[in-house]
Amino acid sequence: MATSNTKKNTTLLALTSSALMLPGYEGALADAAPAFAEMGVRYSKYEEDDSKNSNTFGASSERYDIDVAQFHLLAPVSNNWSIALDVQWEDMSGASPWFVGESTPGEPKIIMSGASIEDTRTDVSVTTRYYYDRGNAGFSYARSDEDDYKSDAISLDGAFNSADGMRTYSGALSASADDIEPTQGSVPTNTLKDHKDIRSAWIGVSQIISKRAIVRFGLGYTYREGFLTDPYKFRDKRPDERNEWTVSAGYRHFFVDANAAVHADYRYFDDDWGIESHTVEVAWHQDIGDHSRVIPFVRYYTQDQADFFANQANLNDTYFADDFRLSAFGALSGGLRVKHEIGNWSVNLTGERYESSESWGLYNGDESPALVDYWRYSIGLDYTFK
Amino acid sequence: MIIVKCLLAFALAALLCGCETVQPWERGTLAREDMAWEGDIMEGAIRSQIHASKEASSGGSGAAGGGCGCN
Repeated sequence: MATSNTKKNTTLLALTSSALMLPGYEGALADAAPAFAEMGVRYSKYEEDDSKNSNTFGASSERYDIDVAQFHLLAPVSNNWSIALDVQWEDMSGASPWFVGESTPGEPKIIMSGASIEDTRTDVSVTTRYYYDRGNAGFSYARSDEDDYKSDAISLDGAFNSADGMRTYSGALSASADDIEPTQGSVPTNTLKDHKDIRSAWIGVSQIISKRAIVRFGLGYTYREGFLTDPYKFRDKRPDERNEWTVSAGYRHFFVDANAAVHADYRYFDDDWGIESHTVEVAWHQDIGDHSRVIPFVRYYTQDQADFFANQANLNDTYFADDFRLSAFGALSGGLRVKHEIGNWSVNLTGERYESSESWGLYNGDESPALVDYWRYSIGLDYTFK
Repeated sequence: MIIVKCLLAFALAALLCGCETVQPWERGTLAREDMAWEGDIMEGAIRSQIHASKEASSGGSGAAGGGCGCN
């Protein structure tokens, strides 16, 4: 009898433990409020390479450097509720491409904005989430505040598990109202004050395909309306509407022998400005011992140019832009993250390099002389209140 | 668009196929932190923001939210 009870209790313990762990396979969106509060801070340095002499009128020019500080707090409010606070501060300085000219026919060169631009940004978001037996639902409010740009956004999201728990349906809606008031300085701006709205929807479904593998597919739609032109670019006039679609897929697989997980993600993007892009990202999460993890990651991105992009923008066209972000290019990036746990603390370090070139892309187009390469470094600490 | 059609076909196949039934007590590996869709929230936030401000595409893992004047 005692043996039978012990066996039952062991089985019950196994079932209970598994049930407690169930939410994890839905990732960040668990179906139970977090058992403990958690807090984290990060400091990141983002540094763009200087513009090259050969691509610039005049001497090479410093581009953007950004210091970023982040704070994250997630706390259970009750068995079914949690609240999260995320704050991000940015301090930016440097210069950006103002427009593209030609030194000799067919040799485009950038003219930089000249005087160094200084700006700060504060982004605060509060999210509350309700957890129920077969899913969860969240509501979020976010406020972003810069000298020249303010945004208020709300979003709703939810997840619902099938009866057998093998499949999860997810959805999200968001709306934002953004105000633009460019800083008046050394270059004329395309507007003194303007506005834009963003509406977005996303649906996804994830499916467990084995004890160690899960797959997810998603469809997204975003509508932007209002002043979508870059206020600081000299030759820039864009449509006041933009419709965007995404199709995405993700795969997670754990290799028991290697004690590692592979993450593979793909996104297809299309819009009515003529831009189409593909993004592929792969990361390897390798555990080393019981307390350390190293995560090498690579990302490839390629995009087609917008219908109205040209290095030598024709100001007589209805719409025109020489912004490198609307040109055809490919980008390769890669880096390494390291995480080490010490008791309730964990230390996180990240280094990443991003480089772009027109010749690396799948689409042909005019190569912009303003394409960006950058380094990013992050250091952070997390703490769990156990 | 061929890639998108292949992706959608694969998605349909994956969702309709007779996937291995995994009982609740067999989902411990799937519940691991390193199997999550979105891992480090702060790392994900800063990477998404940088990519959205240097490339013409964004989104794919949720609703868009608000914009920023990030150049």
